[in-house]
Amino acid sequence: MTKTISNSEPLNVESIIDSWKGRNGSLLGALEQAQQNDPKKYLSETTLREISKRLDIPLSRVYSVATFYSFFSLKPQGEHLLIVCRGTACHTRGSLVLLNEALSRLKIKEFNEKEENSVTSSDNLITIRTVACFGQCALAPVIMVDGLVLSRMTVSKLVSLLDKLKKGGER
Amino acid sequence: MENLIDITIDGQTIRVDSNENIVEACARAGVKIPTLCFLKDISQNASCGVCVVEVEGAKSLLRSCVQKPTPGMKIRTSSPRVMRARKAAVELLLANHPDECLSCLRADTCELHTMANLLGVRADRFPGYKKYPPADNSSEGIIRDDRKCILCGRCVSVCEETQGVSAIAFTGRGTRTRVATFMDRGLAQSACVQCGQCSLVCPTGAITEKDESQDVYGALGDSRLSVVVQTAPAIRASLGEALGLPAGSLVTGQMVAALRRLGFSKVFDTQFAADLTIIEEGNELLERLSHGGTLPMITSCSPGWINFIEGFYPDLLDHVSTCKSPQQMFGAVAKTYYAKNANIAPKNMRVVSIMPCTAKKYEARRKEMISAWDWWKDKDPESTGLRPFFDVDWALTTRELARMIRLAGIDITALPEEDFDDPLGKSTGAATIFGTTGGVMEAALRTVYEIVEKKPLESLDFIQVRGFDSIKSAEVLLGGSPVRVAVAHGLSNARILLDEIRAGKSRYHFIEIMSCPGGCVGGGGQPVLADIEKKKARSLSLYEEDRRLPIRKSHENPAITTLYEEFLGKPLSHLSHELLHTSYKARVF
Repeated sequence: MTKTISNSEPLNVESIIDSWKGRNGSLLGALEQAQQNDPKKYLSETTLREISKRLDIPLSRVYSVATFYSFFSLKPQGEHLLIVCRGTACHTRGSLVLLNEALSRLKIKEFNEKEENSVTSSDNLITIRTVACFGQCALAPVIMVDGLVLSRMTVSKLVSLLDKLKKGGER
Repeated sequence: MENLIDITIDGQTIRVDSNENIVEACARAGVKIPTLCFLKDISQNASCGVCVVEVEGAKSLLRSCVQKPTPGMKIRTSSPRVMRARKAAVELLLANHPDECLSCLRADTCELHTMANLLGVRADRFPGYKKYPPADNSSEGIIRDDRKCILCGRCVSVCEETQGVSAIAFTGRGTRTRVATFMDRGLAQSACVQCGQCSLVCPTGAITEKDESQDVYGALGDSRLSVVVQTAPAIRASLGEALGLPAGSLVTGQMVAALRRLGFSKVFDTQFAADLTIIEEGNELLERLSHGGTLPMITSCSPGWINFIEGFYPDLLDHVSTCKSPQQMFGAVAKTYYAKNANIAPKNMRVVSIMPCTAKKYEARRKEMISAWDWWKDKDPESTGLRPFFDVDWALTTRELARMIRLAGIDITALPEEDFDDPLGKSTGAATIFGTTGGVMEAALRTVYEIVEKKPLESLDFIQVRGFDSIKSAEVLLGGSPVRVAVAHGLSNARILLDEIRAGKSRYHFIEIMSCPGGCVGGGGQPVLADIEKKKARSLSLYEEDRRLPIRKSHENPAITTLYEEFLGKPLSHLSHELLHTSYKARVF
């Protein structure tokens, strides 16, 4: 496992940040690339400090931008990302039931979608996020798994999906 | 470049400068548009929505704090639509604002309260729903309470732009937006230098000084204790203002009388220690100049500035004078020299200081500031006690003292002018001007010149280092060679001089840096709601006091001469180093 992580990390974070020095939008660019490059797809405090130091931007501003965009995670993300659409169309077609089902299957007790962007299962396997709308309302309710939109989701489809992810399957 | 155009404000055609915002143009036309987040020269965040005006042809109301006038613009500043919008903006801000006005430190100076009253808000129209973390009281000087924050952004602007510190920023988004430090760790673990400029610009009680008056009342009520007080130079020019007198009112004698009535056993003056600072620091400068010491030497009186250099320029710490600030010199001398002469057991002595500053609270609690304890502990264990004590026990801001005076029902205007107690109440005009930018430099030059030239100065007034220009400089001939000096106030200005030193390009020998714009008259513990004109008025009063004092040079203070004769020996002596000097170290955040 450790091996695959180091294999998927061809660049070190210092050189990524340095490559953004003096460029327009350096802070956003560095944050985005540093997160993509991280094996746990998040921005650690060490990374944020490194960005502040190397780009000469105050720590508070780096933190400000990193907390503004829901795209950025300050906590380690699971191996798989499950995004539940909470837009109006999906909501009326039962997305809350899907969200709650996923949370309970992953034994996640506390998640307030109004307060937090995402939550990760304790085994670090799956991160659940919510989103305001995917623009796929005709296919409601939709869920995105690792970048792929799954339409007209039902609880049973979701359950078998989660089972597959737990067994190490691809979806 | 001025560009005059004609616009119509409430039916009146007037000529305005198109570079100014509508809110400023209206002010010239005699219309005061209410604002909450806008603060001239500091913050232009356009977040509160109170300053809206109606502009003919514009679809929505416009925020006059950021909108510039255009030729022929027709503006209505008080139409029913405007009034409704302003009131609603404040009602929305009040939805999540706690109903704690009775117990709030800003009860009588809250801009949100004034605004709600002005706009006729008479009921809680919207329910609150936001959740907040507990108040941040991690630092010694400042408390931040998110619940009272209206997200105006003034504190963020002043911290970033005026001070170049950027300890705080907006974090999160939407209804979860808050002002916070990096990783939400609290001010004590952030870049914060505790200068308190944020507490001056905060419109509400969201950022305040840490009020320690209850501790002081406790000491004053304990008959076993001898509680003495020292007052910083700037207080005499701002206490009156804090008590409702015009800005710049000089209340030195009444302040002394009020402190006596509050129960302090001796009313002493930090200015005594300011004179002492000049003797030590002046000699340190001459020592550095003649023995190839690190130059430029930089003053060390301002604790916010010390926090700043320890955090941001630790590589330049050798440039900082090793002299403690006057507050700390006073504490060390009071609990050794004075305690011994007055036969007071140091463990039963408390030193309270009245400071224009929130960072002084932090400075008093620096763990190395126990010189008197160190001096006593082997000499007289009985009267020293078992527990180490600080040289200064509590540093109260001007605002805290003003509240104590009001609480005691003291009418400062009815008090006689009284004199400070001897010997630690004796001081000079040189010490008075410590309270304004350039004052320490001027005081030092008066003394250093006469030490070197061995003849009296023709004019004591070094006007080149006076005033509110961001960086001031002068050249003085000392013993035939030019000594170049510079003065900066506000930490962004300090950065300019520090970057020059770092780059090896500084041409100065001696630099004065004060953390706050204007120096201590603009300190973070001073009365709020003060614009630059008020700070200038405070400053002019200090120069006025300097002019009328019989002694205007630190080295001519007879109490200082006695202190050296009876106790310290000579400047930079071994005992001076033990009690009056300190060291600095890098601060990591």
